[in-house]
Amino acid sequence: MASNRSRKTINDWFASRGWKPFPFQKQVWEAYRKGESGLIHAATGTGKTYAAWLGPLMEWMDGDGEAYPDLRVLWITPLRALVADTEKALRAPLKDLGIPWRMESRTGDTRQSVRARQEKRLPTALVTTPESLALLLARPEARQQFRRLQMVIVDEWHELMGSKRGVLAELLLARLRRWNPLVRTWGLSATLGNMQTAAATLLGNRAEGARVVRGLVPKTVRIDSLLPEQMDRFPWAGHLGINMLHQVTGAIEEGATTLVFTNTRSQCEIWYQAILEARPDWAGLIAIHHGSLERKLRDWVEDGLRAGTLRCVVCTSSLDLGVDFSPVDRVIQIGSPKGVARLLQRAGRSGHRPGETSRITCVPTHAFELVEVAASRDAWKAGAMESRFPVERPLDLLAQHAVTMALGGGFQADDLLAEVRTTYAYRDLSGIEWQWVLDFVTRGGEALRAYPEFQRVEVTADGAHQVTNRQIARRHLLSIGTIVADAAIDVRYVTGGRLGSVEESFISRLRPGEHFFFAGKSLEFIRVHNMVAQVRKAHGEAGSVPRWDGARMALSSELAEAVRTRLDQARAGVFEGPEMRSVRPVMDTQAKISAIPGREELLIERVETKEGHHLFFYPFEGRLVHEGLAALFAWRIARLRPITFTMAMNDYGIELLSADRAPLEASLASGLLSPANLAEDIPASLNAAEMARRQFREIARIAGLTFTGYPGQNKSVKQLQASSGLLFDVFVKYDSGNLLIEQAHREVLERNLERSRLGQTLDRLSRGVVRLLDIERPSPLSFPILVDRSRHRLSSEKLADRIRRMSA
Amino acid sequence: MRVEVAGTELELMAERAAYWPERATLFVADTHWGKAAAFRANLIPVPGGTTESDLARLTSAILRTSPRRIVLLGDALHSRDGRSEKTFQSLAAWRARHAEIEILLVRGNHDRKAGDPPEGLGIHCVDAPVIEAPFVFQHHPSETPAGYALAGHIHPAVRLRGRGLQRATLPCFHFAPGVATLPAFGSFCGSALIQPGPADRVYAIADDEIVNIWRR
Repeated sequence: MASNRSRKTINDWFASRGWKPFPFQKQVWEAYRKGESGLIHAATGTGKTYAAWLGPLMEWMDGDGEAYPDLRVLWITPLRALVADTEKALRAPLKDLGIPWRMESRTGDTRQSVRARQEKRLPTALVTTPESLALLLARPEARQQFRRLQMVIVDEWHELMGSKRGVLAELLLARLRRWNPLVRTWGLSATLGNMQTAAATLLGNRAEGARVVRGLVPKTVRIDSLLPEQMDRFPWAGHLGINMLHQVTGAIEEGATTLVFTNTRSQCEIWYQAILEARPDWAGLIAIHHGSLERKLRDWVEDGLRAGTLRCVVCTSSLDLGVDFSPVDRVIQIGSPKGVARLLQRAGRSGHRPGETSRITCVPTHAFELVEVAASRDAWKAGAMESRFPVERPLDLLAQHAVTMALGGGFQADDLLAEVRTTYAYRDLSGIEWQWVLDFVTRGGEALRAYPEFQRVEVTADGAHQVTNRQIARRHLLSIGTIVADAAIDVRYVTGGRLGSVEESFISRLRPGEHFFFAGKSLEFIRVHNMVAQVRKAHGEAGSVPRWDGARMALSSELAEAVRTRLDQARAGVFEGPEMRSVRPVMDTQAKISAIPGREELLIERVETKEGHHLFFYPFEGRLVHEGLAALFAWRIARLRPITFTMAMNDYGIELLSADRAPLEASLASGLLSPANLAEDIPASLNAAEMARRQFREIARIAGLTFTGYPGQNKSVKQLQASSGLLFDVFVKYDSGNLLIEQAHREVLERNLERSRLGQTLDRLSRGVVRLLDIERPSPLSFPILVDRSRHRLSSEKLADRIRRMSA
Repeated sequence: MRVEVAGTELELMAERAAYWPERATLFVADTHWGKAAAFRANLIPVPGGTTESDLARLTSAILRTSPRRIVLLGDALHSRDGRSEKTFQSLAAWRARHAEIEILLVRGNHDRKAGDPPEGLGIHCVDAPVIEAPFVFQHHPSETPAGYALAGHIHPAVRLRGRGLQRATLPCFHFAPGVATLPAFGSFCGSALIQPGPADRVYAIADDEIVNIWRR
C-alpha cells in the first residue's frame, strides 16, 4: 500500500531524531488520510504540531510528489508572536526530508515585497492569523488561490474559541469549506472541560462524528507557594505582592532559568523594576516580556530564553502559549492564576525535558490568595477542568464579515446566508437578523434610510453584493480584526527606535519632562507628535507606570467551588496544608470581627465608615457573576426608595456603598434574593448600571462605527470621532430597533454575566440561610473589595438631588 | 438660574444656553450642526435626528426668554462633509418659524473649514471678537483687555464627587475672572473636564436643573 512508503519515511525521520511516533499521532495521520477532520487536545510541547502537520506531508509523498505546489496547508495561529517559532518547527521535516514546498507566513509584520509575491501566488504552506486570513480573503483573486487547499490547522483553538476572534475563524473556515468541500480541518487545543463544544465550534455543521483525539496526559506537576514570613503583617488586600520581593529573588536564585508570570502588564513592569533594584548585579540577565512591547524587544527576549542566556524573564500571558523554552526550570506565578487550566498551562512552561516535573510556585499578593492556591491544587487533583464558552451569533462581526466578502469578489445574499449558517456561532441566525445585517451593510440600516445616495455595499442588478467605493474598502481593510484596540499610542525614542505602545489616556496625563517606566526602562516624556509619544532615556528618579485597560481575570466556577469548600473547612477549624496553616491568623481575625461564611449560608456584613454605609455580600461565585448580582441587588433595593449605590466586586463578594443607610431588611423581606422575575429584573438592572453602554465600545468598533484611523492620516479623521458612549445614546434615542444595541445587551447577559449561573446562584442563595452581621470595622474578607476604586454606579435618585450633595 | 457677571446679569439655562436680559440676547456655543450628517457622508451609519432635537431644545430656550437676538459663539456647522441638504432643510424650517430673531455667528475654528451657513438662513457671520460692553463675544476662551469674554470651544464638563464614592460628570458653565465658557450646545459632541481655579464659578447642568457647584 502506498501509505507504507511515507509511513516508513516518517518513522525513519523520527528515529533519526531519537523519537518514536506516539500512538495519538499515528491515529491523527490515519484519520487525515481517510479524509476526516478533528480536534487534538493535550498540554503544550507534547507533539500536537507534528500530529497535524505530517499528515499532509505524507499525503504529498504518497501522491503526485509535485514540486512547489500551490497552497495546500493553512496554519492559523492566534498570536503573531507564535508565527516565527511555528514556521521553524514546520520547516524542520521539509528540510530534512528534502520536500520541495515553499513555506511562508503572512501577518501584519510581513514585508511589502513578500506580500506582493504572495498576492500573485501563495506558498504551499502558509502560517497566518485570523485577521490576516480575513484580509487575504477580501480580495477577488482569493478563490482561485485557495482552490487546492487540503488542510487547515488551527493552533491554540482553546484560546480563540471563547472570543469573537474565534467566531471570525469559524466564518473564514466556512468560506474555505464552501470553495473546496474536501478541505480537512484539524484544531490543536489545550484540554478543556467541554471538548465536544470546542470541536463543534471548529467544525460547524460537519462536527458530527468528528475525531476528538487526546494527546499525551500531562506530566507530573508540583504546585507550591511562597508563604509570607509574618502573616500578621501581610496585607489583606492588594494585587502587586511586592512585599514578597525578597523571597521571590531567593527563588529565582535557586533555579537556572525562571519565568515570573504576572497577571497584568503594569504589574509586569513594576516587578521587573523591583527585581532589578533588588539585584542590580542581574542587569542584562533579566528581561521583561508583555504584549505591548515592540516585537524586536520580545524576539530578543524569546531568543535569550531558548539559548538559556537569561536568568529570569518577567512576563504576562504573552508567554502562555506556544513556543518551547526548554531551559526554563522554574515558574513563579505572582497572584492567583484564577483557574486550574491556566495554572497547569503556566506550570507546563517548565520542565520540558523528558522525565522532568513541571513546577509552579505561587506568590500571594494578599492573604486570601493562599486559599485560592490550596483550592486550585484541590481542583487539579480532583480533575476539574474549566470550560470555554463560545460567543453566539455576534451581529457586529457578521456585518464586518459581509463587507469582507463583498470585497472578496462579491456575494449573493442567499449563498452567504447558507454559508454562515454552517458555522456553530450562526447556526440559529434568524432571517430577520440576516436581513438586518444586509440592510446595515448596504444602506446603513434604519439610520441612513433617508439618504438613499449612500451605499456602503452596493447591490448590482443581478443581486451581487460588492464594494466599489475605495474609501469604504480602505477603511474596512484597516479596521478588520476584532480585538478592541484601545486608542494606543506608539512610544518611540526621539531618535526613532520604537519601544511599544501604551494607552492614550495614560500619555494624556503626563506633562513634558515627566518620567515614566515602560519596557523596563525609565523614560522622559517629551511630546506627542502625530500619534507618537516621543521619549528619551531618563536619568534619576523613575516615575509612574502605565496602566492598560485589560479585562481582569475572574475566578473560574470550578475554582470558586473549591474555595468555598476550603472556607467551610476553616470554619470547622480544619486547616490542612501549608497555605491554609499560613493564612489561619487572618481567618481567626475574620471569625472574630465577623464570621467565616459556611457553604449553605449567605454572609452579609454591614458596616459604616467615613465613606458611607457599606453592605458586603459573599456568594463566592466569581467576579463575572458578581457583576450581574451587584447590579440586580442594587436595583432591587433602590426600587424601595430613592438611593444611589456605587458597586464593587471581586471573586468572593459584592459591595454596595451608599451615602445613607440602605433599606436592606425591607428588601430581603420583599425578595432581594429571589430567583423570580429575573427576566424583567436583570435587563432593567443592567440598564440602570449602564453595562450595555460600556459593552457597546467593542461592538461599535467591529461594526465599523468607530475606527482608529489611517496611519499617518489622523487629522482628517478627527472630525469623524465620537465616543462609543455618545453613539450608544444616539442609537438608543433615534434608532431603538438597532440590533447592535440589542446585541450589547445580549453580550452583557451571556458573556459577562452568564445568566444561567446567575439564576443558579440565586436559587442557591434563596434556599440557604442569610446571616446578616453588623460589624464595627471592615473584615479581612471585605478589604480587597473595599479598596477597589473602579466602580459601577446605580441610582434611583433625581440627578440634581444627588449633585447637591457632591462637590468638585 | 440668574448669575451676576461683569456688572450685568445672565440667566443660565438647562437648555445649555445663557440669556442676557439687558440686551434680550440668547447665547449658544458649539452647536456643531451636521455632525451626524458628516458621519453619514462618510458612510458611517449614525441615525438622523440629532440636529432636529437640538433645534427643538433651542426653541424651548426661545420660548422661555423671547430673545430679540441669538449669538452663536462659534462652531455652528461641524464640517464641510456635514453640509447636507437635509440638515439645511431642518435649519431653514426652524429659521422660518423664528424669522423675527436676529442671529449672529462669531466664527470658530470649525466654521473656517466648514464654511458659513447658507445665506438663506439669515445668519450674520463675523470673525471674532465682537465687542459689546461689558462683553466680548468670541469662540476661543482667552482673556482680552477689551472686556469680559463669552466663549465656547472647550465643551466644558465638571466632575463631582460625593460621599459613598459617588461621582458624576456634567456639562457646565465655567466663569473665570476674565472669561466665561459655555457648554457645548450640540448633543452629539463630547466634553472636556475642566479644572476650575479658586476664583472661578461653575454651574453644572443636571438634567433639567442648573446646580451651583461654586464654593460648596
